[in-house]
Amino acid sequence: MVQQNGKESRLLTPQRDNLWYKDAVVYQLHVRTFCDSNADGIGDFAGLTQRLDYLQELGITAIWLLPFYPSPLRDDGYDIADYTSVHASYGSLEDFKTFLAAAHSRGIRIIIEMVLNHTSDQHPWFKEARSSRENPKRDWYVWSETDTRYQGVPIVFVDTETSNWAWDPISKSYYWHRFFSHQPDLNFDNPAVFEAVWDVMKFWLNLGVDGFRLDAVAYLVEREGTLCESLPETHAIIRELRKRLDLAYPGTMLLAEANQWPADVRAYFGDGDEFHAAFHFPLMPRMFMAVKLEDRKPIIEILEQTPEIPDSCQWFIFLRNHDELTLEMVTDVERDYMYDEYAMDKTMRINRGIRRRLAPMMNNDRRRIELLNGLLMSMPGTPIVYYGDEIGMGDNIYLGDRNGVRTPMQWNSALNAGFSLADPERLYAPVISNAVYGYQAVNADSQKRSEHSLLRWMKSLLQVRNAFQVFSRGTIQFLNPSNHRVLAYMRQFGEETVLVVNNLSSSAQAVELDVQRYKGYIPIEMFGRNMFPRFGNLPYLLTLGPYQFYWFQLRRI
Amino acid sequence: MAEDVFLGDDLLRQLMSVGEVDLLVGMSSHNAANTVSHALDAIEASFQRNFVRQRVVIVNVGGGDKDEDGVVAKGHGNLAEKGVRLPGITSLRTSHRVTANFSGPPSPGIALHTILAAADLLRARACAVVSPAASNLTPDSIANLLMPVYREKFDFVAPLYTRNKYQGLLARNLLYPMSRALFGCGIRELFSDEWGFSGRLAALCLNQDVWHEEAIRARPEAWMAISAISSDFRSCQAFLGEKSQAVKGPGTDIVEVLRQTVGTLFWCLETQQSLWLDCQRSQPVPTFGTAHELTSEQTDLDRHRIFEMFRSGVTELEPILSSILDPETHSEIRSIVSLEEEKFRFKSDIWVRTLYDFAASYHHAVINRDHLVQALAPLYRGMTYSFLVEHADSSPSEMETASEMLCAEFELQKSYLMERWKAKVEVKS
Repeated sequence: MVQQNGKESRLLTPQRDNLWYKDAVVYQLHVRTFCDSNADGIGDFAGLTQRLDYLQELGITAIWLLPFYPSPLRDDGYDIADYTSVHASYGSLEDFKTFLAAAHSRGIRIIIEMVLNHTSDQHPWFKEARSSRENPKRDWYVWSETDTRYQGVPIVFVDTETSNWAWDPISKSYYWHRFFSHQPDLNFDNPAVFEAVWDVMKFWLNLGVDGFRLDAVAYLVEREGTLCESLPETHAIIRELRKRLDLAYPGTMLLAEANQWPADVRAYFGDGDEFHAAFHFPLMPRMFMAVKLEDRKPIIEILEQTPEIPDSCQWFIFLRNHDELTLEMVTDVERDYMYDEYAMDKTMRINRGIRRRLAPMMNNDRRRIELLNGLLMSMPGTPIVYYGDEIGMGDNIYLGDRNGVRTPMQWNSALNAGFSLADPERLYAPVISNAVYGYQAVNADSQKRSEHSLLRWMKSLLQVRNAFQVFSRGTIQFLNPSNHRVLAYMRQFGEETVLVVNNLSSSAQAVELDVQRYKGYIPIEMFGRNMFPRFGNLPYLLTLGPYQFYWFQLRRI
Repeated sequence: MAEDVFLGDDLLRQLMSVGEVDLLVGMSSHNAANTVSHALDAIEASFQRNFVRQRVVIVNVGGGDKDEDGVVAKGHGNLAEKGVRLPGITSLRTSHRVTANFSGPPSPGIALHTILAAADLLRARACAVVSPAASNLTPDSIANLLMPVYREKFDFVAPLYTRNKYQGLLARNLLYPMSRALFGCGIRELFSDEWGFSGRLAALCLNQDVWHEEAIRARPEAWMAISAISSDFRSCQAFLGEKSQAVKGPGTDIVEVLRQTVGTLFWCLETQQSLWLDCQRSQPVPTFGTAHELTSEQTDLDRHRIFEMFRSGVTELEPILSSILDPETHSEIRSIVSLEEEKFRFKSDIWVRTLYDFAASYHHAVINRDHLVQALAPLYRGMTYSFLVEHADSSPSEMETASEMLCAEFELQKSYLMERWKAKVEVKS
């Protein structure tokens, strides 16, 4: 399965499928948080490699790694100081290669972060560029004699920045930065920059990584009189990257980070010649909203507004991630509702979002956690599971920034939750230790041993999901029964047809489904493999317990 | 068993799909084909603007008319379904519509019975009944009926309107002061096409064995208000703006109006006598918004014709009036009917005593009760003539002072009614 050719590790399957990202179940983690092998209190690649069996057993098929590059860590690693190495805290490049090979040997693909828009001001490129106006790297960044160019371009981090220009006292001119002032933007009008970042990508592709999540892709190019976002020149750069990728590294993929409405993100798929995949940001808060409202309307509305994308492309969907639960893509009314229902304590709020994990947001209600995971796994798109959510980990909202959802993985009830053998004081962040979500109560080992644990349930969920391509590639058709508390949809792909019925409410519900079109089909419940009565002429009556959901495989026998 | 079932299976099925709701707005689309779409838009807009988080439903009672019911069922007027979103506002939840169809035109009583049943089954917290025929129906007016119940925990919300000083004379000179004096609750618009109520009050009224009564079939709203008073529910008034005058069709003449309003009020006196007989004094009713508003446009009412109808009516009904009125009252009426038009005045003490005589005679059923109420028509015309003359130049504040004086007269003479009410009366055949 694995070809290890010198430094290269490439996952090969008998029938290599270049669309693997469409069928993947992605697990998102930060190396720092997962497992510490050298007792320094910080997770590392060696530790992560030790835990790959756990992930394989869980049923995930890809890992998305947050930035692990050398960095001053003033923006959680998104301020990269060296594109072709590993931060010393996380191990060495050799450790990464070992990890990559081990993942591939288990059939797990690896997606890494790549920040093309900007570097750290500690990156050698920028150090050279600012050293003198004559330096050959000078034109690798965007400089100006005044801070009045590109007027009207929004400032992203309004809490900390007052301008998109920063004064460089060394070269005595202004440089452009869309994010923090310590993150100067690269100048993509300079072809040398493009070649340099392509070299960086090739470096990792040659090692065998399977894909990149490209951060802040909308901001690559600046033009006067525009908002400097999503410009045609930016799309041209992405198309060129994609072209080279397809030519030299078929089967690898690009994932866009663009927190925008689906209709706006659509442009990043191009004609199937830009990104392979992009996040569907607005769906996520609406899943939470639908469960709280006990009403399917938010989900249906946003999916109906989601445009078609090229066949080779895919949405990536998620419940939670390393950032706050972003409420950018909701109306003011919806944001207020989400705050009131999920973040009454203002400490839980940050920026325009909620810094909480899945389980605490659901008040640790197992049925609601299962329902949301059921929705995630049955909606169109590639699902992402955030580390620890598979065991119902809690958060620590008092840690500041988004660090409350980035605490050490809880492996067992031993010292430091089995994450590290370092003294607890040395951990990069304290483990969760409260009575409800603490590592003594919530950990992977104990859940492995418990037949009815969330972890075991998640495994069975992923097992069913992975067994049917209809979930990853199928079309979706909503049934819209008169009971609005029930969200029902048909997924169809080739000969596979699946009926998904979700009760979004906290009380038992009856629902009549119009399945006339499928008259004669036998619904087979996909977890227990039990047959239900055949569809006939009448509306199909189902009753569902609180937050219960059914997945039925439809068979015509 | 089936005969005992009021709600049809189709309606029940629709209600099951809706589940529990926070807010319910009911209406009857019968005879409102031209305006039902406007009403639906106003309700939807009210939900979108004021209740984006709440679970809401519109319950329409139809008369089997395909045009009217189709407008509701097919979602005409549905802002959300038409893709219309008010700027910056989106309802978070599904907005439901339920239609209860009857084979013929549903009476107001049947419509209300259906709406109350739906409110009870859906466990609605706040409800409103509105009229699609009212051109003044706005998102704000609907919200004003719902808000006091939903936010302030009131159980009954009566509307208040901006009125021309010549509008609503029956309410001003009879219904309001009489009901206030007797039941102790100063609701100005006891009879209206729109009002709000709580789920608790809906449940109480639903379970009363009154739905077969003619008074309830025709105008159930006053009974509902009085039921709220009698059960110590909290009542209030909400200002809704200008009152539109419903287009008058056949049968909306004064006799019919008296049958529906005064007849119902008398019926309420009959059925709620323990309440008003024990009531000592009236209490002010909390009011949301302006207490009331009068404008002074000129009227085209033909005063002379009204006076002539009074005089001829009283003369024609002389034998009937003699059986209804106390001899002393009757004598006073006879004396004023002979006055010249210019000198004629219907003094408030005689007017009050006349009404109390009618109420007592209704109670004792001295004649057919329906005929009795109709016999009030010429006397009401006399009162109206007198009012028009006296207040031709009155300012709104003078009108209000006069209204308060009339209320005081009703309260002053309440003991007279109680005396006559309790008296043993020999019914003339």
